[in-house]
Amino acid sequence: MPDSKLDLLQGTLDLMVLQTLDVLGPLHGYGIARRIEQLSENEVLLNQGTIYASLVRLQQRGWIAAQWGVSDNNRKAKFYSITRAGKRRMKDDRTQWERLAAAMGRILAVSSDPGKP
Amino acid sequence: MSAVRQSCARFLSIFRKQRLDREFDDEARAHIAFATEDYMRRGMPLAQAQRFARVKFGSVEAAKDAERDSRGLPWLEGFFYDLRFAVRALQRDRGFTFAAIAMLALAIGLNVTVFTVMNAMLFRGFPLVKANDRLLYMQERFPSGLCCISYADFETWRSQARSFSGMAFVGGRPIVLADSNGGNRTDTFATTVTANTFQLLGVQPVAGRDFLPADDAPGARPVAILGYRFWESRFAKRADIAGQTIYIDNAPATVVGVMPEGFDFTEQLNLWLPLAHPPNLNQRGPAFLPGGHLAFGRLRDGVTVEEARTELAAISRRLEDTFPAANRGVAPRVDTWSQFFVGPDAPVVYGSLWVAAWFVLLIACANMANLTLARTVGRRHEFSTKVALGASRWRMVSQILGESLTLATVAGMLGWWIAKWSVRTWAVATASSFQILDYTVDSGTLAYLVAISVGAAALISVAPIGSVLQLRAGKGNTHGVTQDRHGNRIGAVLIAGQMALAIVLLSGAGVLARALLNIVGAKTGVRDPQNILIGSLRLPSWKYSTAAARLDYFNRLETELEAIPGVRQESLSSTIPVNSGSLRTLEVEGRPPAPGGGESAPFLTVASDYFRVMGAPALSGRVFDGRDRSGGFPVAIVNQSFATRFWPGGQALGKRLRATDRNAPGEWRTVVGVVPNIMQGDPTRQQFKPLVYLPFHQGSPQSAWFLLRTGVPPDRVAPVVRAEVQKLDRSVPLEDFGTLKASFGFQRDRMDLEHAELGKNAAVAPIFAGIALLLAGIGLYAVIAHRISQRTNEIGVRMAIGAAAQDIRGMVFRDGMIPVVMGMILGLAASLAVNRVLQSQLVGVSPHDPATLAGATAILVLVALLACHIPARRATKVDPAVALRHD
Repeated sequence: MPDSKLDLLQGTLDLMVLQTLDVLGPLHGYGIARRIEQLSENEVLLNQGTIYASLVRLQQRGWIAAQWGVSDNNRKAKFYSITRAGKRRMKDDRTQWERLAAAMGRILAVSSDPGKP
Repeated sequence: MSAVRQSCARFLSIFRKQRLDREFDDEARAHIAFATEDYMRRGMPLAQAQRFARVKFGSVEAAKDAERDSRGLPWLEGFFYDLRFAVRALQRDRGFTFAAIAMLALAIGLNVTVFTVMNAMLFRGFPLVKANDRLLYMQERFPSGLCCISYADFETWRSQARSFSGMAFVGGRPIVLADSNGGNRTDTFATTVTANTFQLLGVQPVAGRDFLPADDAPGARPVAILGYRFWESRFAKRADIAGQTIYIDNAPATVVGVMPEGFDFTEQLNLWLPLAHPPNLNQRGPAFLPGGHLAFGRLRDGVTVEEARTELAAISRRLEDTFPAANRGVAPRVDTWSQFFVGPDAPVVYGSLWVAAWFVLLIACANMANLTLARTVGRRHEFSTKVALGASRWRMVSQILGESLTLATVAGMLGWWIAKWSVRTWAVATASSFQILDYTVDSGTLAYLVAISVGAAALISVAPIGSVLQLRAGKGNTHGVTQDRHGNRIGAVLIAGQMALAIVLLSGAGVLARALLNIVGAKTGVRDPQNILIGSLRLPSWKYSTAAARLDYFNRLETELEAIPGVRQESLSSTIPVNSGSLRTLEVEGRPPAPGGGESAPFLTVASDYFRVMGAPALSGRVFDGRDRSGGFPVAIVNQSFATRFWPGGQALGKRLRATDRNAPGEWRTVVGVVPNIMQGDPTRQQFKPLVYLPFHQGSPQSAWFLLRTGVPPDRVAPVVRAEVQKLDRSVPLEDFGTLKASFGFQRDRMDLEHAELGKNAAVAPIFAGIALLLAGIGLYAVIAHRISQRTNEIGVRMAIGAAAQDIRGMVFRDGMIPVVMGMILGLAASLAVNRVLQSQLVGVSPHDPATLAGATAILVLVALLACHIPARRATKVDPAVALRHD
């Protein structure tokens, strides 16, 4: 099972988290993990716990902020939100990522190996 | 920006570990609760939902580890952990820790002390003075060997030399100081300086003002600047000191300023006066004035010492041509601070002391390396288990470094304390009012201490790290014989190295000590100096202003002293044996003056009975007696060296000679006696110089020594002598009171520049050698003892199959002595090369003195045998039955 997950490039998960927070606003760890699972159709996260290493890294860089709060159903949880620096970063990373993906797509399209798509 | 921010956050998170961990636990719990609720909403029963939630989250511990790794600095935390572990490990092994720290602290403390002293002797210069290394100190070398520098020549240098941004002249003179009401008169000494002196040094007065050029002009109103200590002791630091009047030589002078605390230049004296160059200073030629004149200058930016020397030499050559009579053969002597005030060999003296301190530190490090190596080999089990459990090599290296650093840190802190204490002790023990040194222990010293402590930690770790890196997982659990051999080989190399260093130190210290003994124990020509009491008296000039008054005082003194029971003979003299006497140029009748200013010899004035007190009756002719008073026939006595030098083979009696000070000939004196040689005028006491004695009562001495030969132990007479001197006149202070024998000890201030530091060096070097020997001995003992404990098993087997105690002992000694002998051979070869450096310091002993080298070898062998003997005896006491079970 784990073998079938995508190996993530360094920083990819960070971009996903930033994107998620940008779109959905403040969210707790479970919410972020759930959202990424849903959109990536379970292709990315090995398990939900791995999200936290990414969250602490983003916090230390000042791209997201964290605050303890209370959820809809009255549960104490830490809520993460994207900062202005984080938004800038996301935009940069996103451009970078789109260029890379486009380039990869072009290169793989002319692949001569019939065994792989 | 964000990277810096992240590094800071990571570093800070190390210190909030527990709180952050707790927060993560809370967060994980919340996460699982959310997930559970989610699953339940989708219709799962609680138990299943919980299980699914947990599975989805994955391992909480793994997530926590990942979170910690990305939040903190795992390698640093690992190192902190190792440090904590090291402290615990060292606490367990108290004996090792104590010995290691004591050894290292001592060696570090010693090293920092020598560093501070060397720094003071070679580089620091005068306290408070700006950029000491840009100041040069100058005198002239006169062909007659007289002191110091002519003011007229200085003025020529000052006006012509381009190498200096400024030049100043420093002299000194005795003065009578009195309060503004004329009371409280004291004889003291003042430093006289040109007005630009303090400005050139870069030191400002703390109160009042500096000298102005107008103060220095001839006929200017007299002014004075006080030293801080003098301001404190005589004027109780009164704030309105500037503007006060004091009397100098019965004339009013105004105090214009006070120099800062700790500032002394060039000696420790009370006050500075403007030179206000009196006309007699303008004469060229040897200027023998009291106080030791010198000139100093500040080098212009970019000018080197050599360039300045060359320029002054050129100016002096021009002076020789212009003033052939006075300046023929006069050459400038241009020195740095350390060359002038410490001696031309200061770098050699203090450099070699520093090297010696490094030897001691290296020996201590070798000991520590050996001990740590032994411990590491003993802990092979621990390390190989760790390797088996997946510890990285780096973690084990880090663990060993952690231990060494912990030891070095504690040792460094103790060493700092030792250094501060011993620098203070050194400063007090070697204090001289003629040598102003700056022994401040500052942040630079601290940086040096930290650097050598860390260096020591690294040195200590090398061997054990090497042995750990050779470990393979699972291999250490069996007794790895190869491992032991490897450790033993490193151990033997370290022992040999220690012994080599120790013998270099021992032989160096040995020749220095012998040089000192050759000086202190030299023949003086005085019989039983332990039975001669001496004391020095200086008459206040304001009270005894005429020659008659002074001679009257000394006559009364002689009468009183003679009458003291227990005093056999008494006499007076201008100086005591071994001191230099005043060097004067002289002319011997019928002998053409030598080229370049004539001959010179020490002149002494002595009263009748002087040679009886010395136990040196005249060889021919007579000694001075009652006839030789002022107004009497001018006579002189010469010593044997003088007679053989100037009248070889001939009759000295009846010949005539005269002193020719400052080109002004004195009266002709007839030689009436020849006396045996008494040591005088050779600081190293190796040569009996030609001497001239003049009658005490034909001079007008301001100061004199009395010499009493006692028939009873001198300390029984001493209190009476002191009382009599005080009874005669309380205003005459009695100084340097003691036996003549005691005054023969080494005194820096009467040595020549080359050997001035020998006393300190020869006293300190044996201490270093002793410590080195002790450390090397302990090191050898520890290694042998450890090896025996490793081989208990083997020894047991040997004894069980019939080895005698003697065989076992032989084995232990062979084991220990082989590296010792190898180190010794290496060390002896090194000493032959190293000791040559000490050549200039030595007196009457060769740097390769065979007896000293043999002695050093014998001492080392003795210590090594002792170090082997103790463990060897223990080895022979091994009970085979017990040993075979030993693991």
